[in-house]
Amino acid sequence: MLRKIKNSLSLKIIFSIIAVSLLVMFILFLVLEKINEDAFYKVEIDKANIILKTVEPLIALDLYLGMKENINSITKELVNNPNILSIKITTENSSIYSLSKNNNLKKTKDYFVVTKDIYQPNSKKIIANILLTYSSENYKKLRYEYRKTIISLFIVLILLFILLSLYIKRLLAPLRKIASYLNNYNPDIKRSPFLYDENNEIGLIAKELNSMQNKIQDYSEKQQNINKNLEKMVEKKTAELKTQLYTNTLTGLPNRTSLVNDIISLENGALIILNIDDFKEINDFYGHIVGDSVLIQLSKKLEYILNNRSNIKLIHLHADEFGLLFTKEIAYSSFIKMIKKLIKEIENIILYHEDNKIVLQITIGAVHGIDNALERADIALKLAKKISKEFVVYDKKLNIEHLYEENIKWLKRIRNAIKHDNITPFFQPIYDTKTSKILSYECLMRLIDENNNIISPYKFLTIAKKSRLYTQLTKIMIQKSCEYFQNFKYNFSINLSIEDILDIEIVTFLKTQMQRYKVADRVVLEILETEGIENYEKISKFIADMKKIGCKIAIDDFGSGYANFEYILKLNIDYIKIDGTLIKNLDTDKNAKILVETIVDFAQRLNIQTIAEYVHNEAIYKEVKKLNIDRSQGFYLSEPIADIKELL
Amino acid sequence: MKKIILFFILSVSTVFASSYDELLLKTQISIFPKITILDKSLNKKLINNEIIYTIIYEKNDFLIAEKIKADTESIFLNSHIDTYKYKINLLNISSLSNQTKATVFYVLNLSKSDVKKVSQIAIKNNILTFSYDINNLYNGLLFSLNIEKSTVFYLNKKILSYKNINFVSPLLRMVKFIN
Repeated sequence: MLRKIKNSLSLKIIFSIIAVSLLVMFILFLVLEKINEDAFYKVEIDKANIILKTVEPLIALDLYLGMKENINSITKELVNNPNILSIKITTENSSIYSLSKNNNLKKTKDYFVVTKDIYQPNSKKIIANILLTYSSENYKKLRYEYRKTIISLFIVLILLFILLSLYIKRLLAPLRKIASYLNNYNPDIKRSPFLYDENNEIGLIAKELNSMQNKIQDYSEKQQNINKNLEKMVEKKTAELKTQLYTNTLTGLPNRTSLVNDIISLENGALIILNIDDFKEINDFYGHIVGDSVLIQLSKKLEYILNNRSNIKLIHLHADEFGLLFTKEIAYSSFIKMIKKLIKEIENIILYHEDNKIVLQITIGAVHGIDNALERADIALKLAKKISKEFVVYDKKLNIEHLYEENIKWLKRIRNAIKHDNITPFFQPIYDTKTSKILSYECLMRLIDENNNIISPYKFLTIAKKSRLYTQLTKIMIQKSCEYFQNFKYNFSINLSIEDILDIEIVTFLKTQMQRYKVADRVVLEILETEGIENYEKISKFIADMKKIGCKIAIDDFGSGYANFEYILKLNIDYIKIDGTLIKNLDTDKNAKILVETIVDFAQRLNIQTIAEYVHNEAIYKEVKKLNIDRSQGFYLSEPIADIKELL
Repeated sequence: MKKIILFFILSVSTVFASSYDELLLKTQISIFPKITILDKSLNKKLINNEIIYTIIYEKNDFLIAEKIKADTESIFLNSHIDTYKYKINLLNISSLSNQTKATVFYVLNLSKSDVKKVSQIAIKNNILTFSYDINNLYNGLLFSLNIEKSTVFYLNKKILSYKNINFVSPLLRMVKFIN
């Protein structure tokens, strides 16, 4: 019942009204009861007093005139009144006139006693006292009647409240109907509108509810349509993404991810990775559009060569790399035949762009087997590139993995050395060949390993160049060399590769450090000629910028690379460091001697100083002197040292 | 001898005097003075702050008048009726004139003409009048009482209407009015 009341608004209102009404009525009853009890009592007392007041002058006069008969007559007459139970008059002379009915007045509640003094007529003198015993019967009757009336009234009111409550419940009943109508409402299901014709508040709610229901249904329909469209779009996009994930967008062939999945699912098979040689040059020379066109044509050619062979799956790994996955076991001889056929077929392809013929050359890495196929084929490809062979089939005997492990180990050692500040410059003096005086020092990188072994850069620099660590190493050398020579008056050389010169970050860092330690006018920047100075404009600009701030420029390993004398002329250099391979055989190799003589002659005509490195014995040193090479350096003169103070 | 002479005189007087009911007389002696002070305008009727209670008689009723005086004084002691001082005068009707000063005339049996004379003087001088005989009220006196089944007061309504007679209302409720 309580839960029913708690959940019903109408019952709450009804019970609230009834509870408040009963409380109000009860309080009202108590208050009225008290007021009326007093009022009725007072009325009866007043009545008794009025009687006394009425008879008092007569009794007073009779007493005054001594007319006892009259007094008796009055008292008799009074006692005849049903409400007067007794009367007693006491005079000052103790004369008592007393008369009473034969009632048994046991309880004080049954009567009131009223007294009054009797004054002598026309005087203020009290001559007697009258005591009237007045029945409370009438009072009780009045109270009873009053209570009866009030209770009847209350019963009528309660009945009215019940009727009112029922009426309220009836009025609010549509709200419950609305609630049950809304129960389990589903905007997807169309329903007939809620019918309520009354034009009152509930009618308005019902009207608005129907209107809201229509709007919700419209909105739901729209949402469903949107959801359906979204689902379609998501499906479409998912398919697209799936295609993108497993397909190369340029050629439409399966991509590397697809290959990885396929390899995992296979038990037997083989893999060929073919790479277009110098594809970068095609891209750079003809542009990317032509490059992409070449890739598409090659993919079609490969498809044609494979001729829908179901056991070979063609994959476009990335830009210039394609893969052929053999999904079934193939004989080793057939596998090699297939590789050779591929190379031949592709090399016979002639592609045209405008009037230019484009001929492709490829290198192949292959693996006969499916275990770690991708990695092994990749290793084989790199090896083929390295040793300039058309193809290499992976073989455990090649010990290729060992090389990789070594590289990884070296990278770890370099990282540790950088972390523990164990990359440090060593300084090898460069002497004046004529006077044997030290003119400058070349700063050479050294790595101090955990066993305090001093390691030369030729062991790790190539590996470092392939990683991001190379930039850090260069920066360390620049900073530490500049810092070291800020306190010495000697010139010093810092080696820079072409990559360093083309790296804005390194160039900016170099300038900052030289300014910081104020050594720019004593720095000689040695640029490695063996690497091939291709972008002369940029190199030339770099040299001009550096010379402006006081630096000098040397070409290192001159005679080993591709640079011709014309370009050297344009670069406005200060020193030529003759390639060590020429110097170290100077005493035995006549051709080397002729070449060195030519270089020295060329340099002297241009007023460029020459430096001979790799001077490792006296014989060489003598030859250097004979050839008038201006400066010399090498183990015969001095090994690289950690601190130049040793030589001072 | 004196006693014999007095007895003789009284006997002769009694023979020649009018007849008076002793009980009625006794009642009037005790009530009329009390009625006097029930007049709320009594103060205006006082003579030198005294109630001059004048008993008017014919010469044959002198002894009755004397007795009334004596009885009254024995009831209302110390010359006081309640708080009012009083004095009783005996007046032969032949001596009555307009100059007679009195608060109350207690009229014994008189001839009809004498009663009228008393009435005219009383009205003129604002004097309360009590009569032994109720029939005198028809001749202009104010108040009387008779013993019937009980004591009954009679009041001459016509005289009451004259000014300066203002009895307490309970008295007026008790009386029988005579027009």
